[in-house]
Amino acid sequence: MQPQIQQAINQIGQLIIGKQQEIRLALSCMLAGGHLLIEDLPGMGKTTLSHALAQVFGLDFSRIQFTSDLLPADMLGVNIYDTQQQQFHFHPGPIFSQVVLADEINRASPKTQSALLEAMEERQVSLDGQTHALPSPFFVIGTQNPLHQAGTYPLPESQLDRFLMRIQLGYPNWQAEKAMLQQAYNDRGESLPAMIDSTLRVSLQKQIQDVHASDAILEYILRLVTFSRESELFANALSPRASKALLLAARAWAVTDNRDYLIPEDIQAVLPAVAEHRLRSSQADGLAHASLSRKLLECVDTMAA
Amino acid sequence: MLRLNPSSENRAHLLLTFVLFTLSISLYAPLQLWVLLLVTCAAVMRFSLYMNWQKHQLSVRTLNLMAVLCAIVLAYFGWELGLLLGMLNLLVMASSLKLMLLATRRDYFQLIGVQFFLLGAALVFNQNIAFSLFYAVLCLLLLMSLAFHINPSASWLILSKRVATLCLQALPIAILMLLVLPKLGPLWQMPTAKGAHTGLSDKVTPGDIAELARSADLAFRVTFEQDVPPANQRYWRALVMEEFDGRSWQVHPYRQRITDRFWRAGLPFTPQVSGAYYEYQVIAEPTQQRWLFALDTAVSQDQHLWQNHDYTLQSRIPLQSALAYRVTSYYDNQLPPALPQVDGRLNLQLPEGGNQRTQAWATELWRDNPTPQAYIRAIASHMRQQGFSYTLKPQPMPVDPIDTFLFEQQAGFCSHYASTVAYLLRLNGIPARLVTGYLGGEMRTDQYMSVYQYDAHAWVEWLSEDGWQRLDPTAWVAPMRIQYGLEQAVAHEQSFLADMPLSGLRGMAVFQALRGWLDDMDYLWSRWILGFDRKNQQDLLKALLGDLSPAKLALFGLGALATIAMLLALYHIKRWLLVKRDLPNWYYQKALALLAHSGIKRTKNQGPADFCAQVEKQVPPLSAQHFTALTRCYTNLCFRPLSPQQHKLQLRQMRDLLTKLRRSLRLDV
Repeated sequence: MQPQIQQAINQIGQLIIGKQQEIRLALSCMLAGGHLLIEDLPGMGKTTLSHALAQVFGLDFSRIQFTSDLLPADMLGVNIYDTQQQQFHFHPGPIFSQVVLADEINRASPKTQSALLEAMEERQVSLDGQTHALPSPFFVIGTQNPLHQAGTYPLPESQLDRFLMRIQLGYPNWQAEKAMLQQAYNDRGESLPAMIDSTLRVSLQKQIQDVHASDAILEYILRLVTFSRESELFANALSPRASKALLLAARAWAVTDNRDYLIPEDIQAVLPAVAEHRLRSSQADGLAHASLSRKLLECVDTMAA
Repeated sequence: MLRLNPSSENRAHLLLTFVLFTLSISLYAPLQLWVLLLVTCAAVMRFSLYMNWQKHQLSVRTLNLMAVLCAIVLAYFGWELGLLLGMLNLLVMASSLKLMLLATRRDYFQLIGVQFFLLGAALVFNQNIAFSLFYAVLCLLLLMSLAFHINPSASWLILSKRVATLCLQALPIAILMLLVLPKLGPLWQMPTAKGAHTGLSDKVTPGDIAELARSADLAFRVTFEQDVPPANQRYWRALVMEEFDGRSWQVHPYRQRITDRFWRAGLPFTPQVSGAYYEYQVIAEPTQQRWLFALDTAVSQDQHLWQNHDYTLQSRIPLQSALAYRVTSYYDNQLPPALPQVDGRLNLQLPEGGNQRTQAWATELWRDNPTPQAYIRAIASHMRQQGFSYTLKPQPMPVDPIDTFLFEQQAGFCSHYASTVAYLLRLNGIPARLVTGYLGGEMRTDQYMSVYQYDAHAWVEWLSEDGWQRLDPTAWVAPMRIQYGLEQAVAHEQSFLADMPLSGLRGMAVFQALRGWLDDMDYLWSRWILGFDRKNQQDLLKALLGDLSPAKLALFGLGALATIAMLLALYHIKRWLLVKRDLPNWYYQKALALLAHSGIKRTKNQGPADFCAQVEKQVPPLSAQHFTALTRCYTNLCFRPLSPQQHKLQLRQMRDLLTKLRRSLRLDV
């Protein structure tokens, strides 16, 4: 693994113990330039993880707590008339930050949600006929609570698609939680060092573009998405955008492994994070969410027939 | 020792059992009864295992004991059976014992192999079209059994399709081999089976042929090259009988001895021939006898035929199965006595005593007509005037049969007339003999005719200065018999085939048409498949290639093989190209197969690295090392951009590693 990436993972791992795989996925997602959705119950460390990610990349961070009465303007900013200069001045909202944590994204009204998602896609904000470019890099880390859906507006599939990955943290295991409890009280005051500065990030992103994807790998991806489309298990199959996302995420994963070519294991590692929120079971009761992508992996041979 | 039931619900075993059982039943004639019983036992045992009525097989010890007993019994009977039958019985016995034992894959494949051989052997005994089809079906069932063995869970439909495809692919090769492969002579002599003799017999008591005339079985078929003889000239000579004891005629023992002597010396008789001739091919039905059928002075070039001094043809081996032979018959040719002294002496012998009235009458008649021709004319006119009649139901004539026939009954069948006339001729010093064979034949098409058992006939040959003359006394009283056949000749008494079951149906057009159609089918089968001999083969090749030379023949064979190879290559080229292009995958699959053999199986969603990690935990270090290296090569080849040199290098490494892996895994076991 790349030493710096390993160090970054270790740094974050001190805050969120026992979740190496998820941390690495999140890092890969950000290296690939994609947005991240963290779906979990409250108190699992969603916010901590997002904050730590921003710190590790040395990026500025802002947090928007989504509520049902949050308006797009609250997030994007407003034009305010300056009486002295006789003109409108744009006051940027909290979204103008390199890393934006959109907390409990499903609590906001669809109008606000779509404003955010538009910003995520366009990487710019249009207001009163003026466009304002968002800072670069621009990452959105959304979180949502899968339970207690009363009074929420679940993100439609088309918008879920904008997130490159969706990860779940889940409960830590026995040892991890014990280690966490043993830790000295963390006042969160100390900040993590920026292990991956902008130069390194840019070079890593360059590497990601250069990762070699052989025919065999592309065909594996095609077999996976084709299976999702042909099988009766899935009501929502994987779109071409999903297959692009899969390839991109797998490349980023390969770079974290310090490899310049893809192997099937890369695909398998990122597939649950990339595909799970894009799939939907066709059965009414449905398979438990995590098992849909596992089912897909089980059914598709890594080697050509 | 009791073993678990390997045949439970095993369709491969069921089909195999069925094939062995039906095959043995179809061979009831050459097989011994106790062998059939053994087969039945084995089949019942296997079937009850299949149905799970019974869970355990016989113990090996019981089977060994049984095998020893069977071997002793077979050895005891085997001496009488001769090589071929002995071997056949041995084979069937061994396979039924093996069927009782059947447990392992090895047993199964041995049995399958033996069954295919037995199918081939069965064709020696049963060759007609129905049996051939039946054996073809059994062969397909065997293939189905193999298919079920390889893929037990597949459905009948899928496997039948696969087997059918394979058979269709094999068909052109089989046809080519039939056409091109040299025809070898028989490697062993066919023994006589325990089946009854059919057709003519070598001893004729007047009345016998009347019995034969009640049979509508096929005797032989003839295909003429060009001209077909007219109906009244179709005298098919089979046997010449020179010994008369007052009641019966038979082949003279002395003649038999002469024939044997010439035979042993390897000196066949070559008749002097000249004049016009008919050319034809005869396909004789099996008779278990040696004699054959031909017209007039018949000459044959076939190696397996023997020319006798009485102008008859015989086969070197008894006709265990249908025999095709080519004959040229010179119908204007005289038949001079081949061994004049012998012919003269044998054909003047008279039985001692008996038939007093006939002797007196003959002496008187000779006094009035002292030349042979006049004498014969006098006999003929006597019979016509006295109103002699032709009947299929002659009365028995136990005492002085010729007296009884001539002066009391005055009604008889062809053999009565022939026998009487030959006797009358001999009484006055004219050498005469009885010839049996067939008269007539039903034209099926312009060129081919069928001759049935009811066409059996007997007539006389007497020796004039010019040689043997044919004389058919039946013609005097029943000219219809000569011209139109038996059915017309005995139409007045409604006795033709009257005893046959369903004889009433003979008149029906549909029945006639069906019979004719079956007959034609059978003829085509006999002529083109069974009768496909060396000459047919050469004719065909000549028609295809022009003049034959060994080099040309070899070239043709090679060309045909090359064509087949080309077709197969065209069919498979896509797959080959795929393998070639995907050589790393192919090597990797081989390695996977090796590991699977050692019990380590890849689940299909395992990537190479994951699987390699699993393998490292499960196999000894050396093999693990090889497999890791092989996986690295595979990964490099499949997933990394490589220069052509690197590609080649990695491929070579992969091949070497595969060999090493195979060796090390074998050592581990």
